[in-house]
Amino acid sequence: MIKSLAKRILVTAIFAALSGCSSLQFTDIFQGYNSQMKSVKAAQRQGDFVKAQSLLNERSVSNSSYVLGLLERGRLEFLANNWSASQQTFAQAYIEVEEQRNKAKIQISKGFEKLGAVVSNDNAISYQVPYYEQSMLHSYQALNYLFQHDLEGALVEIRRANLVQENALKAYEQEIHQAQNELYNSGMSKDSLASTYPSMADTIGQVKNGFQNAFTFYLSGIFYEASGALNDAYIDYKRAIEIYPENPYLQQDILRLATRLGMQDDLVNFQQRFGKYQTPRGNGQGQIVVLIEKDIVNSKQDVGLNLPVGRSNGGLKFFSFSLPVYQGTLPHYSQSTFKSADKTYQANEIVRIQSLAAKDLQEQLPSLLTRQVVRVVAKEQMRQKLSREAGDVGNILASIYNIASERADTRSWSTLPDQVNIVRMNVPVGEQTLQVQINGQQKSIAVKVQANRITLIKFSAIGSYTEYQTINL
Amino acid sequence: MNKLALVTTLGLTLVLAAGCANKSVVRYGDATAVETTDINFGSTDLQKVAAEMTDSLLLSPVVGTLTQNSRPVMFVERLKNKTSEHIDTESITDSISTKLLRSGKFRFVDMGRVDAAREQLKFQHDGGMVDPSKALQFGRQIGAQYMLYGNLSSIVKSNQDKSDVYYKFTLRLMDLESGLVEWADETEIRKTKAKESVGW
Repeated sequence: MIKSLAKRILVTAIFAALSGCSSLQFTDIFQGYNSQMKSVKAAQRQGDFVKAQSLLNERSVSNSSYVLGLLERGRLEFLANNWSASQQTFAQAYIEVEEQRNKAKIQISKGFEKLGAVVSNDNAISYQVPYYEQSMLHSYQALNYLFQHDLEGALVEIRRANLVQENALKAYEQEIHQAQNELYNSGMSKDSLASTYPSMADTIGQVKNGFQNAFTFYLSGIFYEASGALNDAYIDYKRAIEIYPENPYLQQDILRLATRLGMQDDLVNFQQRFGKYQTPRGNGQGQIVVLIEKDIVNSKQDVGLNLPVGRSNGGLKFFSFSLPVYQGTLPHYSQSTFKSADKTYQANEIVRIQSLAAKDLQEQLPSLLTRQVVRVVAKEQMRQKLSREAGDVGNILASIYNIASERADTRSWSTLPDQVNIVRMNVPVGEQTLQVQINGQQKSIAVKVQANRITLIKFSAIGSYTEYQTINL
Repeated sequence: MNKLALVTTLGLTLVLAAGCANKSVVRYGDATAVETTDINFGSTDLQKVAAEMTDSLLLSPVVGTLTQNSRPVMFVERLKNKTSEHIDTESITDSISTKLLRSGKFRFVDMGRVDAAREQLKFQHDGGMVDPSKALQFGRQIGAQYMLYGNLSSIVKSNQDKSDVYYKFTLRLMDLESGLVEWADETEIRKTKAKESVGW
């Protein structure tokens, strides 16, 4: 009697832990994040950001994807030009990220989460914001401050973005090494994964790691330049050009600042690489910088694999796994051009977020797989136990639950753009009209240019939606 | 059955205990007490910076001679925030100027209130409500002789075990007529936070 009562309590407790009061919503167990975000992205493609916001799942603070919900909301508010709301949402997200970062090395609650993840799936583990998403968070936050005419606040965010990238660089090597060790200890080899897991090489392209974000560096450079800190700007342009050495606008920025700051050694070196630099003639010129965000980053997809796992008795057994993957190749966009007076400028890539995301996922794979091994083995044991104790019914129920709950963790910041491009030009002071060709659409933009100042144009070209914002720095 | 009773009592006790523990309490504290809620710039840092800077300024021999026979007029330019935190630098300058005013050695003009003052003077002249003979005159304000300015910068480092933040606050006093920097000083603050090894 008491034993069965205890059992009942245990079952209720597990259910309570899985749904109601705990970190996981019921939908998260059985529906992947990518399919939850489908309607949101569809609304985003149409440029209806208010509707997209209303379609977002409301998540409570204790939800394991709470911070991700904040990121999506902040991004949509940013797109809707609602700077102050976006700023508050991102600030909240930053607090969450910081809290995660400052947590104790061994967390008891993490243990419970992992337990939850063992009986359900990885969505029960609180979302770890990848470095590239963190740097994008600060980049948007910087733009939020800027559009509210607070350059100093924007620079604070820029410094935070740079801190993220520095920390990422430090943690990078160590984390990868550790994850691969753990995978090996769990009885899996990386090679068995490589032969069955879809290659993401096309999506990853030339990206060397999943956190170095040249867009953030470039933004940082522009803002420092606007605040008169040319040396700081120079350093960030240099960091950006390490990632995108081919970008002609970056090359010109480097040469211009190296000349201006009298960096003789650098200048010789850079002029060999990028050609001679000519100081633009004539006074009364200003600069226009255009940031063009293109389309939306893909969501992760579920992929089912059969992989061998080494058992303690020395044998191998095949288990079915479900892992997240970025499928397909990178889309090619038609060239965006900007025409001012008689000159035509082509937009050039400064970051491909899709590639960063894919690279980041690739780096995460070993640790994902380690957790997966623990889970499939545990679930298999649960099934065997149930089939012994409750016969066929137990077996079937356990199998159904195992199949239904086996979902890959497809969470990622899904409202980010796929690609960001830049254009930079010197134009005469005064009212200027730019003829823009973007996504097959013609647009003309009127901007006011001040002498020796930067005018920033933020362009969003998502699906059929093309809009812009301008601000004088 | 006895066991069941035991379990129920235990459960009820736990629920009650949890209920009591959840009650929020409001208390008054010492405004100058050392605050270490987290590693970010806090009230203690603000008080330390303001106190050390004003003490240093008031005790410096240069300022001693400046203020011997007169009370020089100053204005505070904004402090530049070069840290990676959103800090209300106006609050630091407020503390510093208040302390300097309290010392009785300096007088201040407030550039942040020029528009409001102009509004008021305009009202006195053009509003039709104030006796023109008693309205304050335009162009009688006293210009500042000295400008106080500075910046707050930080270096932040962290690894898995600890975080370290270093703040440097620099303040300068410039003679507006000659352009000479008459006084300058800096205050440093270092804070480290070791991560706890086991936590919830």
